[in-house]
Amino acid sequence: MKLNKYINLKAFAVSAVALAFVAGLTSCEDVPNSPGFEFMPDMYRTRGLRYYNEYVTATGDTLKAARLPVAGTIARDYLPSIPKGMTYEMADNLKNPIPFSPAVEKEGEVIYGKFCVHCHGDGGHGDGKVGLKMPGQPPAYDGGTLKNLSEGKIFYSISKGKNAMGPHELMLNADERWKLVHYVQKLQGVRNAPPAADSVAVVTPAGEVKKEEAKH
Amino acid sequence: MIKDISRSALNLLMGLILAGFVFTPKASAADGKAIFKQNCAVCHSMTDQHLTGPGLAGVMDRVPPGKWLHDWIKNSEKMIKSGDQYATKILKENGGATMTVFEGTLTDADIDEVIAYLKKGDATTTTSSTTTGGTTGEQVVEAKGGIDPLYIILIIIVILAILIGILRGVRNSMSAVAEHTPDEELAKTFWQESRDWMASHRRFIGVCCIIIVLLGMRSCWNSLWMVGVYYDDASDKGYKPEQPIKFSHKLHAGDNGIACQYCHNSVEKSRHAGIPTVNVCMNCHKSIQTGPQYADKEISKIYAAAGFDAKTGTYDLSKQNPIQWIKVHNLPDHVYFNHSQHVVVGKQECATCHGNVKEMTVAEQKSPLTMGWCIDCHRKTDVAMEGNAYYDKLHAYLKNKYKDQHLKTFTVAQMGGLECAKCHY
Repeated sequence: MKLNKYINLKAFAVSAVALAFVAGLTSCEDVPNSPGFEFMPDMYRTRGLRYYNEYVTATGDTLKAARLPVAGTIARDYLPSIPKGMTYEMADNLKNPIPFSPAVEKEGEVIYGKFCVHCHGDGGHGDGKVGLKMPGQPPAYDGGTLKNLSEGKIFYSISKGKNAMGPHELMLNADERWKLVHYVQKLQGVRNAPPAADSVAVVTPAGEVKKEEAKH
Repeated sequence: MIKDISRSALNLLMGLILAGFVFTPKASAADGKAIFKQNCAVCHSMTDQHLTGPGLAGVMDRVPPGKWLHDWIKNSEKMIKSGDQYATKILKENGGATMTVFEGTLTDADIDEVIAYLKKGDATTTTSSTTTGGTTGEQVVEAKGGIDPLYIILIIIVILAILIGILRGVRNSMSAVAEHTPDEELAKTFWQESRDWMASHRRFIGVCCIIIVLLGMRSCWNSLWMVGVYYDDASDKGYKPEQPIKFSHKLHAGDNGIACQYCHNSVEKSRHAGIPTVNVCMNCHKSIQTGPQYADKEISKIYAAAGFDAKTGTYDLSKQNPIQWIKVHNLPDHVYFNHSQHVVVGKQECATCHGNVKEMTVAEQKSPLTMGWCIDCHRKTDVAMEGNAYYDKLHAYLKNKYKDQHLKTFTVAQMGGLECAKCHY
């Protein structure tokens, strides 16, 4: 028996196969549901609460990390853009605090391209790709009920939603919505000449209207 | 005489044609449909489906006869204030949601045309609700289930080993039967044979083993580089977990052309791009209740999360439940990354890091998100400084600092973008 001469050889071969096997196990990128091998996973996934997960607490309660804020919570620096209790019919009183300028209208167009165009379409005719899939197509800005809609009501509709449209005040801040109003008014076709830019009416959060010099 | 009669007959005929031209009512069915589409279809379907307002199938049989519907369309609020019995009833049925007042927008004739259209019904609109989700079909590639090929190979090896064992047993018992004719070759076991063969081919076996070991070490080394990395450059495959709802980015961002920022709307204001809250889904899916591939199966999961009842169009806040989306792009907690800085100030496109999401049915990681990858981009990318108010001061400072090198552009690295504390603090 010449066992001693090739026992090392055998051990060598076995260890090589084992190494290849381990390597095969660690590269799991072919399995889409697996993030792969994580060394010290708590460096990647902390024990702190992460959104959208459920946790079972020490007392056995199931805790959801995605929860509504405590009732009455407001964000820092938040001022309501629409006074409390205001209805759609009263929204005519809301006046655009941002004076018109082509630059502002341009900004409004950019926002329109991100937040409105897929339903209301490029020209505001309600023929966006999603709008066409709706059971009822959105109405055109330049006809019917919307042709002479006041800026306050446009703002109110964007903020609180109207009919099939959902509220967008959580997605866009007040300034962005007012810029959007300028662009929607262009699509309505109501703006032939820019309004006088020397003085603009401003609605303060309290709802009172005051005249203010436009800053240039 | 005859001439006069024929002339007056001709005049009469002309007059009749003219009168017909003036007094013929407008082609009411088509106009009624157009008015309905512009003013009513947003909230009312011609079927049973409840949108913002009730479905209008069979509405003429429901409402009180006479001028009631006409008055209601004209000024519904006045009707409610007057205490009309049916008006208060439908107000209650629809959760107190009032209908737009059309007085001033629609004339009496317009309203009559709409009512004529409602009476007639419309063959094309009654079937519309079945195709609301659109017809653009798209194939969602199912996450590959089944068995990993590695395990198949292992199973084959095990089966082969068992077969060899059985054959050996058969052979041994055969030779035991034929014991009276001892054969040197037969008596040798399998291992003894292979040892003898290996002993006589030692150089060949040695070289093979070295090659196998080197290959093994190489793949070990490579897989060590993949520890904690969710994307593989070589195979262009990344972490692609199955989500609780089969949401398709291809359908929403690709086919429907919804901008990334509509749903991930904190991307320009915050460190996080954010996973959209259910109210963002509901902005469209309140109306769009079936999808092209899974019909209402997946969309009903949104309703379950939002506590929304599709039949009545109302929300029940007590039934709300968060959707447990699985995060795909995960940075360790010891890294600070800010989306708004990259998207608004740096003017980077979403696709630069996230790949062509518009083609993905299931969201997949398309960048390694390693530190080397970050640094690489910070070294190569010229910052768009001109006309970028954020950089005005810094631009002037850097121009002065690098004035000997006559640099026209600056990379993130030259602005200190490689300092440890920029991202780790």
